[in-house]
Amino acid sequence: MSVEQAVKTNYLNALKQAIDEEMAADSEMICIGEDIANLGGAFGVTEGLVDKYGKWRVQDMPIAEECIVGTAVGAALTGRRVMAEMQFIDFISCGFDQIVNNLATFHYRTAGEVPMPVVLRGPAGGYGGGALYHSQMNEGWFCHSPGLKVVCPSTSYDAKGLLKAALRDPNPVIFYEIKELYRRKDLEEELPTTDYIVPLGKATVRRSGEHITLVSYGQNMYHCYQVADMLAKDGYSAEVIDIRTLVPLDEQTIMDSIKKTSRVVVVNEAPRTCGFAGEVLARVCENAFEYLDAPPARCTRLDTPVPWVKPLESFVLPSVEKIYNTCIRTLKY
Amino acid sequence: MSIGKKLTETKKLPRHSLTREDYLEIFKQLFLARYFDIRLIKEKKRGRLRGTLYSSHNQEAVLVGTLYALNPEDWISPIHRDMPAFFLKDLKSGWNNPERKGISIEQIICQVFGKVDAPGRARDNWSHIGSREKKIIHSTSMLAGTIPVAAGVALSEKMRGSDTVVVTYNGEGSTARGDFHEAINYAAVKKLPMITVIENNMWAYGTHVSEVCNTPDVADRAKGFDIPGIVADGQDVFDVYDKMSQLVEYARQGNGPSILECKTYRAYGHGDHDDNRADKYRPSEDVNSGRSRDPLAVCREYLVNENILGKDDANLYMADNKSASQASDEDFPEEVINYLKQGVDFAINSGLPEAEEGGMWVFKE
Repeated sequence: MSVEQAVKTNYLNALKQAIDEEMAADSEMICIGEDIANLGGAFGVTEGLVDKYGKWRVQDMPIAEECIVGTAVGAALTGRRVMAEMQFIDFISCGFDQIVNNLATFHYRTAGEVPMPVVLRGPAGGYGGGALYHSQMNEGWFCHSPGLKVVCPSTSYDAKGLLKAALRDPNPVIFYEIKELYRRKDLEEELPTTDYIVPLGKATVRRSGEHITLVSYGQNMYHCYQVADMLAKDGYSAEVIDIRTLVPLDEQTIMDSIKKTSRVVVVNEAPRTCGFAGEVLARVCENAFEYLDAPPARCTRLDTPVPWVKPLESFVLPSVEKIYNTCIRTLKY
Repeated sequence: MSIGKKLTETKKLPRHSLTREDYLEIFKQLFLARYFDIRLIKEKKRGRLRGTLYSSHNQEAVLVGTLYALNPEDWISPIHRDMPAFFLKDLKSGWNNPERKGISIEQIICQVFGKVDAPGRARDNWSHIGSREKKIIHSTSMLAGTIPVAAGVALSEKMRGSDTVVVTYNGEGSTARGDFHEAINYAAVKKLPMITVIENNMWAYGTHVSEVCNTPDVADRAKGFDIPGIVADGQDVFDVYDKMSQLVEYARQGNGPSILECKTYRAYGHGDHDDNRADKYRPSEDVNSGRSRDPLAVCREYLVNENILGKDDANLYMADNKSASQASDEDFPEEVINYLKQGVDFAINSGLPEAEEGGMWVFKE
């Protein structure tokens, strides 16, 4: 065989490559988190890094999220870039004060004297039967805390490119990795062999369409694609937008699409009230009201925690069926 | 008193390596910290000071004693009752030396007046300032929250091979917080050069320490981390200096973190808004005993006994035991008064930030 088989990378390994490459490029950068060194992370995102960079630059931390985030703030104050892992994004609540009051406000409080190049990343999202404390999408808390950027990739290419961009950003970034996507076979893809980033603050149109715009991010992107296929059979073409970065939000891509389709459904798996879908809808109303032919709609989790067993979990989370029904209502308005 | 991990016995007290100039400088710094407080009370009456005043009256020996034991490159993180710490840091490098690793008196007065020349351009109030260049960690209102940050700074410095020490100031009340325990535990494991100074002034706002701490000394918390916990007489600047110096040396040699508890007493209310209520929730005998040993008087007595201060000099500047309304300018060295005047004059002429700045610097572009 003379033809080399193309190397395909899954979502998890794409993340690992991003961290590895940034660590190699900056000898001052450190990684901290629970079980990230010896074990290589609960899901293996940091596997092998401690052997390469040593146990000071890749550090196992106590189960103490306030301490992890505070330590990241202190290291950044001395000029270091920091990647801090939250073992599950659900656990980020234990470090909440340090994130919203300290990390997020540092650059503001110091009138630009001290940037905070810190990435807090961790596995997020439901649909895996993880129950109340291993299923959350709590991005709304941080979108509501000025000073934090919020990112959520849905593909392997974006996982690597967005994480590299986040690690190079001088601002703190909360990075939502979708654990159900970590090892999905159909997300494996050939990644560029040269250095690349996906810039923060840029949405992308995944599918082009004319009759309705679906706006989402993370795991729900894959529900939206299925819905788009179903709508195609009904004779509707759907445009599907992957937001990718929630803060700062690329409004332009969304508004441009709505000007074309005149109908929009926003999908996310966070609870409805004060969720990010609501924020997108508010901006659509402010900026594209006159282009709309139907009320802008959303399909979100119910205002409940994420319960454990399948029928309960399915009942509260957005599904292909629920999204489809929301789209049909919007199309037939 | 020594709790937890024991330090090596030293034959010679650190204070015995100080020169006569050092002793007199320390005495003068106590006056400076006291006069700062008194001057701010007056400035508040004149309407110049913005916001609440958290007095450090009667607790000055803790600040002067600990800060005098540090090198210029060491980091500190003061909180609300430590306002003088910002300009006392590295003061021995010259009160008006722009190169010294402390905040200038001009900038500090701008900060309490809410003027644009304050560090951070008056975006957050009172003690919520700092400086990367001057090695001062910025705090928030969430007390003990600076300890994890100090651990991060200490980690970073240790990884760079520096012998810098990081010091946080905290009240006894904040030792109940998770941040305190999380960060000291971590620093102990990694042997980070971090000293947690506890200013135990017995009252966390309206709650006495006995209501929230189950051990006789807050420093007892050191036992659980197997680190040194030292109790100092917070009214005696030289006792604070001796014990702090030992812990600084311990940290500099790579032995790790420690706790220094300084027993003191809050002279007034939690903030000036609380002065009247504090008279009611604190028994008068508690207040009288807590304020019976003014750090100025304790220092003066020591200097006289050691023949560092002559009989004539000893009777100059009798600010000891005087409140803001009782003390006059004759009770303070001229240098101290002029230094504060220099800061106040500058701050009066400093402007307010442009309104649009309120929307700036959320992100770095």
